[in-house]
Amino acid sequence: MQSYRLLILPFLILAVSFTILYPNFADRDLKIVVREDVYALPEAEQKILVNALFERWAKDYGKSSGWTIEPTGTLPPKENPFYTVKGRFITSAKINQISQENQSLVSESKNKLEPTWIETAIRGGKSLSIKLGLDLQGGMRVVLKGDFDDYTSKLKDLYAKELTELNLTLKNPTTKQEDKEKAKSRLAEIESSFDLSPMRKIVELEKAKMIIDNRLTTQNLTEPQVRIQKEQDAIEVSLPGVSNSAAILEILQNTETVEYRLEEPNPFVFKGQIADNERRMMDLGKRENTDIFLFQDLVKNKAGKKAQDEFLEGLEKKYNIPKDYKVYAMWARGNSAKSALLPRSFVVLERKIALSGNDMTNAQPSYNSNSYGWMVSFTLTPNGAEKFFDLTSENRGRNLAIVWGDKVISNPVINDPIAGGRAEISGSFSEQEAIRLANVISEGALPIPLSVLEMRFIGPTLGIESIEVGVKAVAIGFFLVMIYMIFYYRLGGFIADLSLLVNIIILAALLTLMDFTLTLPGIAGIILTAGMAVDANVIIYERIREEIEEGRALSIAVTRGFENAFWTIMDANVTTLIAGILMIRLGNGPIKGFAITLCWGIVTTLFTSLFLSRLFMELTVNRMGVHHLNLRPFFFGKKETTNV
Amino acid sequence: MYNINFTKYKYFTLSFSLFLIIAGFVVTFVKYGGFAHSLDFNGGLRTVVELPADKTRNDLEGYFQSKNIEAVVILLEKDKNIYQLDIGLGSLDTIESLYNEIPEVNRESSTSAIDRFVQLLRYEYKLPKEKVLSADQVGAVVGGELTEVGITLLLTTLAIILLYLSIRSQFKFALASAIALVHDILMTLALIGFLQIKPSVPIIAALLTLLGYSINDKIVVFDRIRENSHGKDNLAFSNIINVSISQTLGRTINTSFTTMISVVAIIVGGAVELYDFAFVLLFGVLVGTYSSIYIAAPISEIYDLIRKKRFV
Repeated sequence: MQSYRLLILPFLILAVSFTILYPNFADRDLKIVVREDVYALPEAEQKILVNALFERWAKDYGKSSGWTIEPTGTLPPKENPFYTVKGRFITSAKINQISQENQSLVSESKNKLEPTWIETAIRGGKSLSIKLGLDLQGGMRVVLKGDFDDYTSKLKDLYAKELTELNLTLKNPTTKQEDKEKAKSRLAEIESSFDLSPMRKIVELEKAKMIIDNRLTTQNLTEPQVRIQKEQDAIEVSLPGVSNSAAILEILQNTETVEYRLEEPNPFVFKGQIADNERRMMDLGKRENTDIFLFQDLVKNKAGKKAQDEFLEGLEKKYNIPKDYKVYAMWARGNSAKSALLPRSFVVLERKIALSGNDMTNAQPSYNSNSYGWMVSFTLTPNGAEKFFDLTSENRGRNLAIVWGDKVISNPVINDPIAGGRAEISGSFSEQEAIRLANVISEGALPIPLSVLEMRFIGPTLGIESIEVGVKAVAIGFFLVMIYMIFYYRLGGFIADLSLLVNIIILAALLTLMDFTLTLPGIAGIILTAGMAVDANVIIYERIREEIEEGRALSIAVTRGFENAFWTIMDANVTTLIAGILMIRLGNGPIKGFAITLCWGIVTTLFTSLFLSRLFMELTVNRMGVHHLNLRPFFFGKKETTNV
Repeated sequence: MYNINFTKYKYFTLSFSLFLIIAGFVVTFVKYGGFAHSLDFNGGLRTVVELPADKTRNDLEGYFQSKNIEAVVILLEKDKNIYQLDIGLGSLDTIESLYNEIPEVNRESSTSAIDRFVQLLRYEYKLPKEKVLSADQVGAVVGGELTEVGITLLLTTLAIILLYLSIRSQFKFALASAIALVHDILMTLALIGFLQIKPSVPIIAALLTLLGYSINDKIVVFDRIRENSHGKDNLAFSNIINVSISQTLGRTINTSFTTMISVVAIIVGGAVELYDFAFVLLFGVLVGTYSSIYIAAPISEIYDLIRKKRFV
């Protein structure tokens, strides 16, 4: 390996690394989007909000940061409702801070750090900047606990009809033994699915985590981290730089689902009973005692989902609705498009879910100019399309209700079988509602309801001052180590320094590519990596020196030095690597952060010390005609004699 | 080549280490009743306050020290003089008695510790309400869970290292490395307890780093011993050890020195909150180097001696 051609490899790797790291140092654009409702405010109020922003701006960012903001001092035009901030080193904490400080002006969820061309090219716009953990910049931590009881009751609904059928089959004396066996095993299968093993719980939590990840991405919140806490059946969400955001919490917890359920067959016996009773009450002049009126009251008084559920269950008892059916409220607007969405009547739907949200994807809200309302169109998955076709062909003439969360939002009659896998939901939506519904369909609903177990503001483990000083100290330390290496090993030291620098650059690029979040222990891991990289070179040089002292020719001494040191370096690094991998597997939080940097650091160290250093060294000795290699410190070293 | 008899003092160094470890733990548990409390491990009170421009970190720290309150003061924003104050659970009683000393007119009755602390702060520093930016009673970031995971982790890591090194070289080296690693961890923990350094995330990072450093160091020394013992069965093992340590001494000194440069830079640089981290790391590097020469090597020799006796 003494060819100049091999030099292409390090240069190539360096070029790629620098490209990946570029967004960290580039001038970037940040869009701070102004809330829509601000434009509707009286001018005086707009002025107050804008002034507040720019006062803070002048105080906090104006002088030292080198950031610029456009337009300055006024509200941006309505057609381009955003401020553009240009600057280097725009961090998530700062972005979130600006939004939080100006909540009534800025729409937090729409702020966007414009991707640089590199990010657009290789990541499809996904960020490539190094992320800082909560311990370095502070933020909010929310722990959400999965409610598995609720989950099982939902599952039971899903299988309700099949369960009754199976039981009937079993009880029926005319059923063949063979079929009975089949029914039995199917029954057991379904029942086992209600039994949540820890493994199942993790799987459900994983699904929930993915959905939360998605939701946070569409929020454009910078660098959220979501992880599962197995011990507590909980999901932990860390939001760096966010100090308190109720809106985000609501989005995280939203367990709304979308599903299709068939209504009871025509004539509507049960619905009829309820309607008859309501009419009777109305006739008696007791409008405020009708069930629908009571239910509306619950909604208006924000009694909460639980109270609503209990009310509906009460109705089921009152009217003796059989177990296979469930009472829902049909929600709609009043006469004008601006009136509130409220429950208007009751419908009785099959408990069995005919088509669930998992069968639908790719939803888009759109404005329907014919009915002057918003609607949502979506695609069905191949499996869903088949189910939908079967459903619509077998149930012609029946009503198919679309249930969003616990609201029936539309209840059309099935006229013809629907094939093709596209469908739409029209209800009396506002734009916001249509977008929300589309999001629920596209991202999927949370499989399990989540409740907030813990929510707290986390301060950074270190203050800003310490980080600044610390970074400076580490940089000075590095610099001194490099000087020392040159002082001690002269040309060898220079080569070692070169490979150390390359090592750190590759490592940084690797970590960036993997979306690693840098924490304080992570930094410790990098420091250890650097230490071990220097050590590898020290071991090699001591070996080379020994060979020279034994009187070997320089080029042979170099080769033998590397060969002798090879297994020592391998052993040391592989052992540490094993320890590191174990830490990643078993550890969490701080231990994991440390171990990840350490493990990748070992990989880069092995490459740079065993390949790069050697390449540089051999090229120097064999190709560049360096015949004397003095690996002794200046001043102290005795003159080395080498045989050419 | 230097010729130092490193193994001559093996019984002394082994008992010396054992003594230090035991002494450290005795002081920790008998005198202090355990390791220091810290917010990261035990939870506590956390407030973020904006102080008047003329107040500095030193004022705050001086105040807490004079009142005997365990507090960690973190400067969050320089321009606005915003500080984060972390109070360990150990100081709740002190805070309560100080709160009771506030003149009645200046305090609202309150039962929660965090409220009392905030009122105390506001009274002492004449802070209006809006300057207290946040106040929480917070739980531990790491803690019981981590201790448990930590021990499992350490034991598994040791087992794997034992296995790998036994396969790659010889069991005696693997065993000696593992014991020396345990020695390093115990020694550092003894120091942390002895000096009542608050366990925190940075301290964990320091412990992990020294573990990595220490493994590295032992392997380098043992690799040389193994290489030198090839075909030299007639030579006393202690001689081989001495020669090997001498041969790697240059490297050991160089590496310890370069590692320490970075660590000392942090201490001298004055990043207050990183001081404990750097201090533990510095100590760890010294202990790691010491244990390669004076603990690991002698143990492998003792093991060798015992085995030879048995087979003779």
